[in-house]
Amino acid sequence: MSDAIREQPALDLGSLREAIKEEYSEVAANPQKGFHFHTGRPLAQMLEYAEEWLEGIPESSIESFAGTGNPFSLGELRLGERVVDVGCGAGIDSLIAAKKVGPDGRVIGVDMTPSMLEKARHAAHEAGLENVEFREGYAESLPVDEGWADVLISNGVLNLMPDKDTALQEMCRVLKSGGRLQIGDILVQKAVPESAKRKIDLWTG
Amino acid sequence: MAAGYVGFEITWSKDVFGGAPQAGSAEKFGTLGINFRARKAVNEEELTAALAALSCEVPIDGSEGAGA
Repeated sequence: MSDAIREQPALDLGSLREAIKEEYSEVAANPQKGFHFHTGRPLAQMLEYAEEWLEGIPESSIESFAGTGNPFSLGELRLGERVVDVGCGAGIDSLIAAKKVGPDGRVIGVDMTPSMLEKARHAAHEAGLENVEFREGYAESLPVDEGWADVLISNGVLNLMPDKDTALQEMCRVLKSGGRLQIGDILVQKAVPESAKRKIDLWTG
Repeated sequence: MAAGYVGFEITWSKDVFGGAPQAGSAEKFGTLGINFRARKAVNEEELTAALAALSCEVPIDGSEGAGA
């Protein structure tokens, strides 16, 4: 078999997004199923989330948490600040942020998976948090005005995007001058072959 | 940095995939969870200064000029 035949086809962004939506729809619907990553309250504890942050956050939001780090450990959110949460999932980080910035602050959570957004909106309502809203969209084209945010947080999302430069530029666009980027994500210590980067099942697993 | 940020810093790393219910590719690639932060430059001057600080000077052999 020639190299040309063995070579993986180029990564199709639409197919990748659909595969990721499928995976995270499952995390929304069946969080106890068991995935290749940890989830829920045990994960929050592993990532050093303070118990007090989780007080008042509905369990429906916590159970579908699938982050890889702790954006809140990177700097305090202040009362009245505006925060964007990129890839908010079921809303745990957006709701924590909403508590931290208080009623004079605002939080916008953005996610591309409708079932996650539904859980996030329901959890915000249940928690009585009116300073947070959730919008459907992609990290590479955030539905947020230029220069709106004091702080941009994200947790376990950037690694799912093939074009990280565009995503980071877009995050920069919505930040004010001097605005803070506070991200939990992943780092790979071994080189990932180009052929592997084209396999969708490696992006989702 | 190229996107307009300054002060990039990784503050924490940890194996956050070990013991997960399903096997994945994380171990194969030595994958760690990390926290990182940066700040959008206040202005072009700050960004330019930060980029300049990253620059490396490469010694040029005198026998070859810049146009060699």
